[in-house]
Amino acid sequence: MNKYYVIKRIFYTLFIFAVVVTLCFFIPRLGVDDPAARYYPAQGNMSDESYELIKELTRQQYGLDGSTLSQYARYLGGLIRGDLGNSYRAGSPKVWDLMMERLPWTLVLSVSGMLICLFFGIVIGTHCAMKRGSWQDRALMNASTVTTALPAFFIALMLAYFLGFKLELFPAYTDQNLVSSFDWSLKSIGRVAYNAALPIISTAIGGIIGNAQGIRNSVIAVTGEKFIVTARAKGVRRRRVLYRHVLRNALLPVVTGFGMSLSGLIGGSVVIEQIFNWHGMGTLYLEANNTNDYPLMMGIMIFISGIALAANLVTDLCYGLLDPRVTVGEKQ
Amino acid sequence: MKLFQKSFGGIAGFIGRIWRHRQGRIGLILLIFLSLVAIFAPLIAPYDPYDVTQRADKGLAPSLEHPLGTSITTGQDVFSMLVYGTRVSLLVGLITGIAIALLGSVLGVAAGYLGGAVDMLLMRIVDVMIVIPTLPLTILITNVFGKSYVVIVLVFVLFGWTGLARTVRSLVLRLKNADYVKSAELAGAGRWYVMKTHILPAVSHLVIMSTALSCAGIMIAEAGLSFLGLGNPTAISWGKMLADAQSGGSMLFGQWWTIIAPGIGIFISVFAFMRLGLAIEGIVNPCMKGGSDAKRLLKHIRGRYLDEVLESMEDGAK
Repeated sequence: MNKYYVIKRIFYTLFIFAVVVTLCFFIPRLGVDDPAARYYPAQGNMSDESYELIKELTRQQYGLDGSTLSQYARYLGGLIRGDLGNSYRAGSPKVWDLMMERLPWTLVLSVSGMLICLFFGIVIGTHCAMKRGSWQDRALMNASTVTTALPAFFIALMLAYFLGFKLELFPAYTDQNLVSSFDWSLKSIGRVAYNAALPIISTAIGGIIGNAQGIRNSVIAVTGEKFIVTARAKGVRRRRVLYRHVLRNALLPVVTGFGMSLSGLIGGSVVIEQIFNWHGMGTLYLEANNTNDYPLMMGIMIFISGIALAANLVTDLCYGLLDPRVTVGEKQ
Repeated sequence: MKLFQKSFGGIAGFIGRIWRHRQGRIGLILLIFLSLVAIFAPLIAPYDPYDVTQRADKGLAPSLEHPLGTSITTGQDVFSMLVYGTRVSLLVGLITGIAIALLGSVLGVAAGYLGGAVDMLLMRIVDVMIVIPTLPLTILITNVFGKSYVVIVLVFVLFGWTGLARTVRSLVLRLKNADYVKSAELAGAGRWYVMKTHILPAVSHLVIMSTALSCAGIMIAEAGLSFLGLGNPTAISWGKMLADAQSGGSMLFGQWWTIIAPGIGIFISVFAFMRLGLAIEGIVNPCMKGGSDAKRLLKHIRGRYLDEVLESMEDGAK
């Protein structure tokens, strides 16, 4: 791999990240003239001087004193040290700590959901591609038109109603003590799985069918390639051709799409988390939105974007390892 | 006038071709039906859901007076809300879809055909926008600039053109090296002339198709945002109906119809636009092989707004 290309790529990623940080920093400041006034609306019985004093103290407490540019410089300085600032919540907790407390809970939902989608997507997709035109194949086609036109949160509501309230198979709302009483014992892990079932299923239904449809199409496309015909012609077994030649190529787009989906994994599914009252990053973001907690909102957005950028960089650089036909960084 | 007649004839012919396409006909019929419902909503709906005086008891079961019962939070007639909700959904979807089509195709053609600094700048902007998570950004912007459909449409348009622009750009790059374009340039045709007579017509089909698909994507996104309470708080939309049903405890009291009704509304409208988009693709690009372009584009467009809202719709076909 070309060394200059790697260096160039890293610097470019840093540049994009800087632009993202700048955007996240200035968007809240575009619309809010005086954040201090927003947190302490003027009271009737207060003199102008004491109100100004209170606002000044508020600004100092939340790091909003000085010009916008000096605040920006301070924010960047903090960011380099890995400090995303303090939340506006009571006690001014660090944004980073708040996020890290929620991150594992979101990952429980999204990572297990993604693995389920991948596994069943590959199994169903390959099966349908092998039996092209069978009833299973047609059923997959029809299912994919239905699930693409139905919002996931609608599926989630339906599942919450039928499986949660009617059949009482799974809890329709997450147990409130789930997080506080978690202690790594087998029992509490089981409880997490029990509570996470509905959110995971409701995101996975569409994902499985979407993945299966995509894998079916790419398996069919790859099966028509000459090297597959060659492999069959020289007497390689059907199964071996399927695993070693067809699937390896058909799954490439799935693997490369992984980088982009990583930010979705961490951002979590805001709406699904909200429906099931799940203690994750999505609900944290909505809480921040309801309390106008801009540092927290900025922190979450910068964090998600940073992860997405890093994942893109890694997948880009690793692409050559996965697909030997691609030589990274060389002019075609 | 001649130009008008020509383009009008072209549009009529195109609609005729969609009509002859099996899937396209379903889409067209549904779209006409939805537009009629939206336009004549006051005539169809038995009550005016915006009128506070026309409210009944809360959470009534379906009956002859209230075909779908009444809402659990305010006592509005659910059927009337469903009918009026068509307006918000179609309006937001169509306006945003068309705006994205205009912006995306213009910028995509500019980036692809002009190249150089314009291309460089536009593609850097695309790179930035693709990284920022869209749903959190939309939430942040509605928080800062106020909750309204105008803000939502603006955010959708500002951050939605990137997918189309990329696709258009790559098509234009391919066209630019096509023999007929090269020979037109050699014959002394100017940039504007080439763009007008050769590039734009070739791109237009792709743009029409993606408009249909982005309308579908936007309608889902709008429902999601309204569900989170980020739309105009006074308007009646399907997403907000779902949110009210959920927060009001419809599920607890077994009133499943208040959840199913808006869901069916969303499904029909998104389904109509998807059918149209796929039909147009079938007409424009009859030799599609394996993964369909429309599906890929839909995923791309949807991915922009919905990577979090609608993670479940991830389509592995990239």
